[in-house]
Amino acid sequence: MIEMSHVSFRYGRGDWVFRDLSLTVERHRCTFLVGRNGSGKTTLGKLMAGILKPVSGTVLVDGLDTRQAELYQIGARVGYLFQEPERQLFAPTVWEELTFVLDLFGIDKKLQEERAELLLKQFHLQKVKHSYTYQLSRGEKQRLALAAVMINNPAFLILDEPTTGLDPRRREALAEILEECKAQGIGMVVISHDRKFTERLADRIITLGDGGIRDGY
Amino acid sequence: MGTRMSLDPRTKLYLVLCLSTLGVAVTDLRLLLVILAAAAVAVKAAAGSILNLLGKLKRFIFLFLIIVVIQSVFTRGGTAVLRLGQINIITDTGLVRGVQTLLRFLIVLVAAALMATAKPRDIIQGLIQLRIPPELAFMVTMAIRFLPLLRDEAVDMLTAIQLRGVNLKKIPLLRRLKMYSYLLAPLLISVLLKARDLSLAMEMRAFRAFPRRTSLRTLYLQPADYLVMAMATVFAVAVAASAILLS
Repeated sequence: MIEMSHVSFRYGRGDWVFRDLSLTVERHRCTFLVGRNGSGKTTLGKLMAGILKPVSGTVLVDGLDTRQAELYQIGARVGYLFQEPERQLFAPTVWEELTFVLDLFGIDKKLQEERAELLLKQFHLQKVKHSYTYQLSRGEKQRLALAAVMINNPAFLILDEPTTGLDPRRREALAEILEECKAQGIGMVVISHDRKFTERLADRIITLGDGGIRDGY
Repeated sequence: MGTRMSLDPRTKLYLVLCLSTLGVAVTDLRLLLVILAAAAVAVKAAAGSILNLLGKLKRFIFLFLIIVVIQSVFTRGGTAVLRLGQINIITDTGLVRGVQTLLRFLIVLVAAALMATAKPRDIIQGLIQLRIPPELAFMVTMAIRFLPLLRDEAVDMLTAIQLRGVNLKKIPLLRRLKMYSYLLAPLLISVLLKARDLSLAMEMRAFRAFPRRTSLRTLYLQPADYLVMAMATVFAVAVAASAILLS
């Protein structure tokens, strides 16, 4: 469960983005954050992932306080997909991107291969297994970034505009992948402007605006 | 935040040149301190506050300390301050050289911060009016503009790695080196792709279509600019003369 209680946040000394915001996001559910540009959706997502720390109030990820925890500790529970997938792909090839973190953890080669092959299949990336990441299409990069995030089996996924730049077929494929994740019991927070996508997957819709939130569109 | 003094980018460039040249040429510690103080005053006048700059310099403290230690250890001569058996580890000459190098770094960094107070568009215009070819002026400004973007990308990548559950502090050295080498490649590719996209966008806007470029806006030096440049010249001459006398 991600619990935000009485959270206030602003960048530096700028205007308050949120004041005294309380919100709970449960596992096994798909929560969509919608709202106008600049309403604070990405900021809220980053607060939930511990990338940003609240000025006051607390954000607890499965009981872990994001203000005190190190990012890697939160990362073991939460997977975060950035708006621009390029920013979270670092290994030269698709295969290395998937095995890179497992290799850092010192996990046995055979287990690395099994896990990576499984994700390649699940995210329809077998054909580009040995391609350079910068050569991939936007949709492939998006799926690879998501697959890389999934390598740790996170309890929560926070996805920032995952459908941006995807054609309807790819959007459909992504929706199917997210439905699978939901079936696996992964809690999801999706930031989206895509109404059709939202209505298909959302268990709960939260609209952001004027520094506050409300349930529903 | 205090009041800012509005200066022409060419005046700022002149100040940077004067201060950094003096910083490199002068060896006397007292004079180096005077130059550093002058650079800080210039930044305070142009930016309104130097607190922001001091905050940024805090990140370099470790690097500065390493420089002082390396200079102290590897400079021969002078009286030993710290000895290990028969070997002089740190000498007074080494310490002076270390502090000298530190002050020089600080002067160049603080002086360069002056240019950060100018708008990129003004810097291009200033350089063009100094008869620097527009292509070159544009390249320099773009390089300055892209540095913060590169930093943001690198920070995002490190955040993304940590969000995959990786504790950066606990990765063994060899694996950490491999990880950083991984980070460099996408950054380099991103820079090259950005440069390609930018050059295409510029050509589509007819950049270099005509041999001579005109500007909608022209920069004019104000009395304050002449005054600051005159003061900088007097200061540079005075410091140079003092350096000669002291040596």
